[in-house]
Amino acid sequence: MDRYGWRRLRNTIVITLSIGATVLGLGWLVLILGSLVYEGLSGLSLAVFTEMTPPPGADGGLLNPIIGSLMLTVLAILIGTPIGMLAGTYMAEYGKAAMLTVVVRFINDILLSAPSIVVGLFVYEIMVAPMGHFSGWAGAVALALIVIPVVVRTTEDMLSLVPRELREAATALGLPRAHVVRYVSYRAARAGIITGVLLAIARISGETAPLMFTALNNQFFSTNLNAPISSLPVVIFQFALSPYADWQKLAWIGALIITFAVLALSITARALSASGKSS
Amino acid sequence: MSSIAGISHTVQSPVPTVVGRSANDAGKLAEKILIRNLNFYYGDNKALKSVNVALYDRKVTAFIGPSGCGKSTLLRILNRIYSLYPHQRAEGDVLLDGANILDPGQDLNLLRARVGMVFQKPTPFPMSIYENIAFGVRLFENLGRAEIEERVQSALRRAAIWDEVKDKLHANGLSLSGGQQQRLCIARTVALKPEVILLDEPCSALDPISTAKIEELIDELKDDYTIAIVTHNMQQAARVSDYTAFMYLGELVEFDTTSKMFTTPGDRRTQDYITGRFG
Repeated sequence: MDRYGWRRLRNTIVITLSIGATVLGLGWLVLILGSLVYEGLSGLSLAVFTEMTPPPGADGGLLNPIIGSLMLTVLAILIGTPIGMLAGTYMAEYGKAAMLTVVVRFINDILLSAPSIVVGLFVYEIMVAPMGHFSGWAGAVALALIVIPVVVRTTEDMLSLVPRELREAATALGLPRAHVVRYVSYRAARAGIITGVLLAIARISGETAPLMFTALNNQFFSTNLNAPISSLPVVIFQFALSPYADWQKLAWIGALIITFAVLALSITARALSASGKSS
Repeated sequence: MSSIAGISHTVQSPVPTVVGRSANDAGKLAEKILIRNLNFYYGDNKALKSVNVALYDRKVTAFIGPSGCGKSTLLRILNRIYSLYPHQRAEGDVLLDGANILDPGQDLNLLRARVGMVFQKPTPFPMSIYENIAFGVRLFENLGRAEIEERVQSALRRAAIWDEVKDKLHANGLSLSGGQQQRLCIARTVALKPEVILLDEPCSALDPISTAKIEELIDELKDDYTIAIVTHNMQQAARVSDYTAFMYLGELVEFDTTSKMFTTPGDRRTQDYITGRFG
């Protein structure tokens, strides 16, 4: 075989392998989504969103974990986003060369990859144990601790991408530093920072381990953040492991709801970052 | 020609012909900015060596010289934009209407409103064309809506871009072409009613037609503003400036009227550069 023929053959082999690897990877995803839709969709009804989690053998829905998850997620984002953005802003705009920035970045990277169960145990120690009971607040703080490093990282990265010239141009107009950051850097990095927050939401909406040590669960409808509160991931965990068929069904439905919520968020994040690039 | 022959000098010759002469002695020539014995450092690296030069009121002064000769550095001292970076420092006197802007007590934001700057790369802010201009104005003056609108319009007219953008003032500034963006940046600077405008290679990223427009604009602006322009393009320096300074390796080699510099330069290095023997 001549050199050119050999090259073509090698090309064909490598492409075939690449396609095979892609199909294998995507196949699992399709399988997971497929079984979720197959198992979950059939049970999806209005009652899921209006009724509480039932005792075994009774009818019911997922109202309390849905509300609980929404509350915990919103609260965690409200706590974590400002802290994360302020830290990221300091690192990118004020303390670029400071020792503090280097240290914070290093610790933040560790926190970013810390197992979430460790975060749960930590919050158990500092909040649940002293307070003497599990609570929604503890759950929100645990989730916020997962949000913070994600937001710190994206804020710093996105602000660092803002061209130096843009900052200089704003400064050359006589704008004070704070105005430069607020009106120019933040605007230029807006799409990226929002994307980071959306990805943080996606990340925490499936977290189970930190909530089991903090918010625990509640089989009744409750919006009291000082008491244990229900959440979708924990309910899924509990119901999926139960021997009752109707609980297992609800677990499938809950998983379907989370998956599609996260999917919608990811698509929004993608669209946002794409529009940020083109503008 | 005899009246200007007096201000001609090279670094080898002493400078007092320029220094210390009051506006009255010079007749029509008032020194808007007077630079005396200016040294500049990037960390340990000395980028300007004892520079002495004057920018005359409502004249265009061009700074030419090979890359790395310090001409942009010199410009960046005049509005103290270098102060953004902790390792950069200047020594000497830069007198703006007789007051030293290198004084530690100098209010940088006010200085930058008086000494505007346009950069090599067009730097519109990520906001509407209208806001790009109004935003800086609002920061310094308490104007009503109608007055702001008038100021925006007059700035856009002054920068010869009004006709092209009057129907889309609320479109994003980034949607304009490169040449239009650069004129928007000039409008933004003019809107603050500065006394001096610094142009740092304002045409190097533009096509010939846009360049011609900017050069025409410079010609009109010099009726009201003292202008300093850094350029790599010697024809451009010859076309737009009244005075030219040639810099080489951090030194100001020669400064004179543009016509003298381009016909009978006093220094061998100036002649070599202008005739294209190096650089």
